[in-house]
Amino acid sequence: MDVKALILLDETATTAHLGSDGAADELPLLLIDVLGRPVLHRLADRLPQFAISEVGVVTNLNSQSAALRKTMPDVKWTSVSGPAIWRAAENKFSEFAQAGAELVIVIRPGAFAELDFDDLIQFHLDQRGRVTCVRDRDEKPLEVFVISASRRNDAAFLFRHQLQEFRVPCVNYAFGGYCNHLSSNADLRRLTVDGLLQRAQIVPTGTQVRPGVWIGEGAHIHRGARILAPAFIGAHAKIRAAAVITRCSTLEHHAEVDCGTVVEDSNILPYTYVGAGLDVAHSIVGFRRLTNLRRNVEVEITDAKLVNTVSSHAPLRALADAASLATFLPVQVLRGLLARPHHGPAPLLPKAVQAPSAALSTPKLQSEGGSAQKTQFPADLAVARRYGNE
Amino acid sequence: MNSRPNGRPNSRPVVVKRMPERLDQKNARSFLREVNPFIQSDRPQLVFDLSQVKHLDAAGVDLLLHCMAVSMKRDGDLKLAAVSPQAAAILELTRTDRLFEIYETCTDAVRSFTYFLPNAMKHFVFPMVRSLENYVPAAVEDGAASASDSRDDTGQAA
Repeated sequence: MDVKALILLDETATTAHLGSDGAADELPLLLIDVLGRPVLHRLADRLPQFAISEVGVVTNLNSQSAALRKTMPDVKWTSVSGPAIWRAAENKFSEFAQAGAELVIVIRPGAFAELDFDDLIQFHLDQRGRVTCVRDRDEKPLEVFVISASRRNDAAFLFRHQLQEFRVPCVNYAFGGYCNHLSSNADLRRLTVDGLLQRAQIVPTGTQVRPGVWIGEGAHIHRGARILAPAFIGAHAKIRAAAVITRCSTLEHHAEVDCGTVVEDSNILPYTYVGAGLDVAHSIVGFRRLTNLRRNVEVEITDAKLVNTVSSHAPLRALADAASLATFLPVQVLRGLLARPHHGPAPLLPKAVQAPSAALSTPKLQSEGGSAQKTQFPADLAVARRYGNE
Repeated sequence: MNSRPNGRPNSRPVVVKRMPERLDQKNARSFLREVNPFIQSDRPQLVFDLSQVKHLDAAGVDLLLHCMAVSMKRDGDLKLAAVSPQAAAILELTRTDRLFEIYETCTDAVRSFTYFLPNAMKHFVFPMVRSLENYVPAAVEDGAASASDSRDDTGQAA
């Protein structure tokens, strides 16, 4: 049986964005790296395992689509603008049907669900329905549909109503496995923890160097840094001296943690620099933002000493490193020359302080008797032990 | 508010200053110029209201530490009040939250110069204090026990 998959990447999807205050650099959560690979990529990797012959993506995320195409070369991309995505999806469905597909799985990725597509296809065939809709335990739709390729009108109706209405009542497939709706930043963090604790089938992209610690290719970890399991260090990440990574924390690829910083129960996103001597706890840090999950607040950080973005281009990164190395010594010399002296002349000590202590003079008993044998305690001297019963 | 528990008035004023929404290098300088006369006074008592602060960077944190250092050199103190979640996140990030006394409201902060207010700080950045809410020291337990014993004795005697 020929089964093809159609992924709809819609900018108006219900998936939360990092930087949800309308910033230009906001990114859907399914495009953010989790344990080395974004959720969307993991979905695209997973589909061929279920004998799905072809995967096509229709997107209106034009700002990210160029970068996504490079990272997903096996997928056929169709980029459109704005609401034209539904017309493009309809055309793509017809194209799949003409190419001989018998079933088309339509996915609008908003949630991460570990679906067994074989079981889903079998359910659809057994029910002999036109459209099968996948719902989670709470009857909430996961926006995954199986459509018989011969039912073009049903598919067109579904696309024209933005996957919200059906031409005829659909068959519901209840999914009881692991599901994360990725509706907030806390969900992203929960997915990371579930992956590290192996509650979800998300395999960190790296080598497990010791139980619970995965390290990606080319990561630089200083000998004085400490990593407590479970933790994930992405490819080409840098951890400097005395830094501590603990409590299910992850550093994605090309992230940097400077000296003495403690990262606890946090995600450091790709190309993020975290400054020295900081305490990052219960947070997602990236894109010059810090999302504190415990306080439920997102803070924009403009100070490059605290959080900064590293260039994604390797030559620029090398140039920046060389420039900082070359300017280090002159900057320190200038700082030393221009700085105000902190230490003034030492104040003169008063005479009483400079005089030798009375305790250092000759003991009185020795000076009076002249010899040690004649030394006697005065009669009126009482000696008492502070503790004990004697 | 300006009187001590023993009834004697506290003549030293407590200065409450609201911090601007954005506390970067430029704003920190102007803010320091404003508060400089207060922190240079004898035994200054200052409260900074951080309820409006949305952006705080290293210069802002440096300003807070500078003000606290100068105040303490002059035998005074600086306390923070009504810290916004954004400012609290930065203070926690830079590990400076543990250096300041932080109160929920300005009133609590001002009163703390005269009275000890253990309950005023418990809902903020010190989660460990929450776990101590139900903690009863052994000495207090003993005291309570002896008091109840004495009541029993009194009851029997009556």
